[in-house]
Amino acid sequence: MIQTENLTYQYKKGTAIFSFPNITLEKRENLLILGASGIGKTTLLHLLAGLLKPAKGNIFIDNTDLNALKSNKLDTFRGENIGLVFQKKHAIQSLNVFDNLKARLIFSNALVNDKKIEIVLAQLGLSELKTSKVSELSEGQLQRLGIALSVIHNPQVILADEPTSSLDDKNCKIVIELLQNQAKQTNANLIVITHDHRIKSCFQNSITL
Amino acid sequence: MNIWSISIQNIKSKPLYTFLSVFIASLSIALLLGTQQLKRSFENQIQNNVGKIDVVVGAKGSPLQLVLASVLHLDNPTGNISYKKALKISKNPLIKSAIPISYGDNYKGYRIVGTTHEYIALYDGELKKGHLVENAMEVILGNSVAQKLNLKIGDTLLSAHGLIENSIEEHDELLTVVGILKPTKKVIDRLIITNLESIWNVHNHKSEENHEGHKHQENHDDKEVTSLLIKFKSPRGVLTFPRRINERTYMQAALPKYELYKLYEYTSIGFKTISLIAYLILVISCITLFISLYKMVKERAFDLAILRTYGASNFQLIKMVFYEGFIVVFSSFLLGFLLLKIGFRFVEANDQQNIFIALPFQDLLQLGFLILMMVIISVSCAIYPIIKMDVSKILSNEK
Repeated sequence: MIQTENLTYQYKKGTAIFSFPNITLEKRENLLILGASGIGKTTLLHLLAGLLKPAKGNIFIDNTDLNALKSNKLDTFRGENIGLVFQKKHAIQSLNVFDNLKARLIFSNALVNDKKIEIVLAQLGLSELKTSKVSELSEGQLQRLGIALSVIHNPQVILADEPTSSLDDKNCKIVIELLQNQAKQTNANLIVITHDHRIKSCFQNSITL
Repeated sequence: MNIWSISIQNIKSKPLYTFLSVFIASLSIALLLGTQQLKRSFENQIQNNVGKIDVVVGAKGSPLQLVLASVLHLDNPTGNISYKKALKISKNPLIKSAIPISYGDNYKGYRIVGTTHEYIALYDGELKKGHLVENAMEVILGNSVAQKLNLKIGDTLLSAHGLIENSIEEHDELLTVVGILKPTKKVIDRLIITNLESIWNVHNHKSEENHEGHKHQENHDDKEVTSLLIKFKSPRGVLTFPRRINERTYMQAALPKYELYKLYEYTSIGFKTISLIAYLILVISCITLFISLYKMVKERAFDLAILRTYGASNFQLIKMVFYEGFIVVFSSFLLGFLLLKIGFRFVEANDQQNIFIALPFQDLLQLGFLILMMVIISVSCAIYPIIKMDVSKILSNEK
């Protein structure tokens, strides 16, 4: 469950203030946030992930007030409850596919379960690339690894930042479906921000900034 | 898998840079340890070997040469002195003990020293096997000699003239090994010890052969020794005795402590220079390490930001960088130590006169501590970007 109240953010004093509409999502509800570049989509996503502190307003994830958490607690909370999907870069270069997932579990204090990693890899069609280096993966494979990394630890919220903008129509659809399926399986909220109108039809809820 | 293994993976992913860092650091560590070991060995030689000898009396010449030759057995002697005269000055009431030594032959590069039983006691030598020399042509071996030449009691050897290994000027008389000494870490470890008569016998024979028909009448007057190692009853002897010898006889008296201290003073400039260079290389290697880590932190900014989104705290990331530095430096230390061991082994194999001692643990610890400090400084500088890291900004710049 996610709730935001009167969120605003300002990068530097004297610059424009971003203010965001209130969001309320019940469990398992998904949301698409559309908007042109530079409107503050990523800023909103980073506020939700606790990577930025809002100037004003509150964010509640599962009744936890992100503002109230101190930096170390916030790191832990983020690790345990939030999964982030990025546009292009997803994983740590020096580790292979399997070790990336393992590292993800370790840092989120989750039980390191090799079997679970195998299952997620199989679901996303990455089983054969288990020992590959990240640099050897294609863009589509990387995007799938990104999804695997965002769901492996059963987060409450999956936040995806332009996950489809560098993909063709076919892969775009596949990625959105995979994200929705994984969110459903782990009972997580999925929030996707994008300027990609191709995926508008895939979501029931959407807001435009 | 944990932070350690991520650090190891990071290191593995940039082998060339890691190799370079390790190589430079290990070189400086080997140099530092090496100079330290040389210095310690030198000090040890002076302290252990000079310990009980107040004055060396020998033929006139360079006093340093006399000391190096007769105490450390590193140089050629200045000449010989008459045994009769040596016995005479030994009777001086200030003298507690005067041990004559005579040498000039070697076996496979190890010096054969003719002397009395007191000589072994002078170095606190103890027999490991066999008995002391009782008759002429019997020898006992220092521990290193026995080990390196693999000689046992009952073995025989032919001495060669001079102090350098050669087979041209071999004597005909067989020397028999009757005893082997325990290791002392002192000069007698690398000596072959016999009595004075053995030396005289060998050389008298030689002169007989060389000057056929001119058979020498053996008497005390003819006999010579190389030098006399003197210990006084009280320090007063050191003040008056050498001057008397130097002024009134054809012999000279040298103070080993003074001579070797002078030598040490000269050579310590060399040690200091090498140490300074080694420290400089260590600083350079620390800078290399810092650059390597800093580059890693900068280039992998996105990786580190991703780790933050995984729930890693700043502290964990810092730990990761620290481990990386630690692994590099620890392997450098091991490699440096290994390089040094190989280097010394190589030198020892070529040199019978080896005077090296193992480096005391305390010195190793001291250097280890110094290196640890430098790692901490390098890492502290390298982690600055982590502390200043703006995860959100790095992630936003992805596109």
